[in-house]
Amino acid sequence: MHRADYVIKRVFFALMTVFVAVTINFLLFRALPGSAVANFSRAPHASPELKATLTHEFGLDQPLWKQYVLYLNQLVFHGNMGVSFADNQPVTGELAGKLGNTIGMVTVGTVLAIVIGVITGFVSAWRRSGAVDAVSTNTAIVFYALPTQFIGMMLIFLFAKYLPTAGMRNEVNNFFSGGNTWSSITDVASHMLLPALTLALTLFGEYTLVVRSSMLETLGEDYVLTARAKGLPQRRIVISHALRNAMLPIATLVALSLGFIVAGAILVEIVFSWPGIGQAVYEAVATRDYPMLQGAFLILTLSVVFFNFIADLIYFKLDPRITE
Amino acid sequence: MSLLRVEDLHVRFDLPHGGRLHAVQGVSFGVDDGERLGLVGESGCGKTTALLALMGLLPPTAEVDGHVEIDGVEILRGGEDAMRPSRWTDIAMIFQGAMNAFNPVKTVGSQIVEPMEFHGIATGSAAKDQAAELLRLVGIQPSAADRYPHEFSGGMRQRAAIAMALACNPKVLLADEPTTALDVMVQAQILQLLVALTKELGLAVILVTHDLPLVTQVCDRAVVMYAGRIAESGPVDTLFHDPRHPYTRLLFEATPDLTGDVDVVSIPGAPPRLDRELVGCPFEPRCDRAFDPCKVRTPALMDVAVNHEAACHLNDATVMAG
Amino acid sequence: MKAVEPAIAEGTALEAVPSARGNPVIQVLRERRSALLGFFIVAFFIVLAIVGPSLAPYSWTVPSGPVYAPPSAQHLLGTDGSGVDVLSEMMYGGRTSLIVGFAAALVAMIVGGGIGLTAGYTGGGTDVGLMRLTDYFLVIPDLVLMIVIATVFGPSLSHVILVIGLLLWTTTARIVRSQVKSIRERVYVRRARSLGASHRRIVFQHILPQVAPLLIATTVLTIAYAIFDESALAFLGVGVPGVSWGTMLEHAFERTAMTEGAWWAFVPPGLAIGLVVVGCYLMGQAIEDALNPRLRVAHLSIHSWRVRPAGRVVAPAEEPGG
Repeated sequence: MHRADYVIKRVFFALMTVFVAVTINFLLFRALPGSAVANFSRAPHASPELKATLTHEFGLDQPLWKQYVLYLNQLVFHGNMGVSFADNQPVTGELAGKLGNTIGMVTVGTVLAIVIGVITGFVSAWRRSGAVDAVSTNTAIVFYALPTQFIGMMLIFLFAKYLPTAGMRNEVNNFFSGGNTWSSITDVASHMLLPALTLALTLFGEYTLVVRSSMLETLGEDYVLTARAKGLPQRRIVISHALRNAMLPIATLVALSLGFIVAGAILVEIVFSWPGIGQAVYEAVATRDYPMLQGAFLILTLSVVFFNFIADLIYFKLDPRITE
Repeated sequence: MSLLRVEDLHVRFDLPHGGRLHAVQGVSFGVDDGERLGLVGESGCGKTTALLALMGLLPPTAEVDGHVEIDGVEILRGGEDAMRPSRWTDIAMIFQGAMNAFNPVKTVGSQIVEPMEFHGIATGSAAKDQAAELLRLVGIQPSAADRYPHEFSGGMRQRAAIAMALACNPKVLLADEPTTALDVMVQAQILQLLVALTKELGLAVILVTHDLPLVTQVCDRAVVMYAGRIAESGPVDTLFHDPRHPYTRLLFEATPDLTGDVDVVSIPGAPPRLDRELVGCPFEPRCDRAFDPCKVRTPALMDVAVNHEAACHLNDATVMAG
Repeated sequence: MKAVEPAIAEGTALEAVPSARGNPVIQVLRERRSALLGFFIVAFFIVLAIVGPSLAPYSWTVPSGPVYAPPSAQHLLGTDGSGVDVLSEMMYGGRTSLIVGFAAALVAMIVGGGIGLTAGYTGGGTDVGLMRLTDYFLVIPDLVLMIVIATVFGPSLSHVILVIGLLLWTTTARIVRSQVKSIRERVYVRRARSLGASHRRIVFQHILPQVAPLLIATTVLTIAYAIFDESALAFLGVGVPGVSWGTMLEHAFERTAMTEGAWWAFVPPGLAIGLVVVGCYLMGQAIEDALNPRLRVAHLSIHSWRVRPAGRVVAPAEEPGG
């Protein structure tokens, strides 16, 4: 098979996953006790006009299959995910504002976790069975085992005196438009420090363990022995032969742990009142704001599918063998 | 004087749960320019370990003893660091299953060029030209240098592995089961290539295999190893017509396994474990000619004819006399 | 197809577990200290979950002291934000957390095992279809979907168990499938089939016993994930009603135990969850490692092989290498 076909296949897979998620989403909320109309009518402050508009837009008086078609139509062509029960604002707009905050914090936390994980995992593999390996592996297992919210609470307990522990001080919820001055950057950074660190601590353990075993496996490959036989010094073998191959499973790992990252992000955002999608999920659950919950689920799934696709492309770039 | 001389080579491995495995127990042999030597035995007899010891490629659990000389220069006793410059320039190696000898994410050409540049043989475009020349020598289109290993067939990859081994004009080429996992036609081609190269380049070759009949076709001399020791050594014709160790005879008689499984030789029984001291002849339990002294006395390697040694009590008049 | 799963590489243990060695799970517990440690940790908490509630010094629902009383002789682990004894809550809450963990893992084992077995054994279109489905579910973020479902259907013990169990089956399914596929191709299953054994007999007599160790390893790891997810759902207020380690963390968070300095309100449940997860991880990982034939020697490490120091009696001229 041609290499270009691979990309096409991955695009198709991503689209199919989104489709499956959207369908689950539709069915779950139509499977609610009571009809969908009744649920919309539970919107506390909705005017009859708004209800009528929604009923029309989503065909709530139509049979299920027609509702499905209309739902897809509204979602795909209008980006319409309904109206929040809490404040009658369109869900799409509210979530879009929060997505930036989440992505900013998650990116910092994940990159930090990857850096820590790759370094400790690498050192562990290199000094296999020694004291350094034992310390690094056991630390990784401990952090891997502790619940995210607990790590966050511990950090608040330890650092509440020195660092901000809740949200962002400026009331503007958008991470990227917080002004360009130095003070607003440091403000955001100081607020982000603990949440991002919590996420990093939650994630790095798994990365350490996988990088370690991946590196060990690579060091056992025949081509490493060949490189040694060629007389190359160890440093050069590691850099030019082992690292790139050891990185392959890491790309896959990050892709596969995206769901885990999202779970971690939700918990972190709740603990630190970080104004992102996770916080929105928390509030939607507390107030039974179904459209908001539905929208958040969809946005999170879309992000995971998207980054999964990116990871696929990176893997594709790193490994010339991929043709399938 | 031999080009490569190995004397009283021992390799011991520390075992994870304590104890030691004496994998190579005092092996000596030599090889001259343009000579092809076969190192033969079943799996676990220490032949690959001996080969890796020559290249200094053993794991940290290993301890080596003995001497390895190239052109009269001792290369083993300085340890791995001292050995590095002679790797690939003096001794190069073709590994078992060349499938995995190439790094999958680098082009074949770059992996041939790599040792040239590192050892200062050639750099840049000169190195690329040399790599192309080597590929042509082993019968591969030079343009294939820019392709990745997975795009090569098994036979091509083995040829490329030979080209890679020749990159720094080595004096000795070690080949560990170079034709395993290849089909019969390709096997014959690769062996022909090895023979042709030794004639053309005056290269010494040590061929490690479990297949004694194959060695008689390709090599000048053979060393038969069993349980980490030399059982018999001599010119291949002599070994074939006049084997002086029952193991050699049985290896010739054993029919190769038709399913193509590696290392299946149909001598009943298995080689002894080497993590304990052996009493008597190591081959005694499987030998069809064993008699009482074999159980208690270990036979020494002794000359049975010119250039022909064997370690068997059957050749020892004093033992036979009782 | 992806090459590696987070904790468990796909296609692990392609080799059969030698049945002669007895039950590999018990074997691992006997041989590996880390597995035994994991086993004791988990066993301790299981015993605690069974007898704990009857040993609890106070009620785990009704306040028995002041709010956030620090640990003392009366309240060994202090009291929480409502004045309830933390030790009593811990003893009772463990029961809920473990029930959810084990039951959800069981659901995942049955669903994932069933799907993996069906896909791997049937092959063809069924296999492709089921694996496609698994791939989709692998990408959809578990916890978010769990939250959505738990919110929609309302929190109860059985709902939480089903929600978690029904979303954690994907890894199990993929691992079981690849294992079943390789076993199915092995000679004796083919032989069993040609002798006219029914599918049911082949699956239950030949395949299932061989998949079992890996299935157990995966399930033990799933318990860890399930306990994690229970605490996360509890943290969002859609967990099991009543006291669990997860709800204890949530209460401590709601009542700002961190800034009150009441570490005893959240450290015990947090550490307990961590310990159980570590226990499961150590056990599952050890079983998996034991099944994994790809355990290799590193060809590269900071240490190098050693040269045996020159003999004490002979050859004093050689300098000791190292």
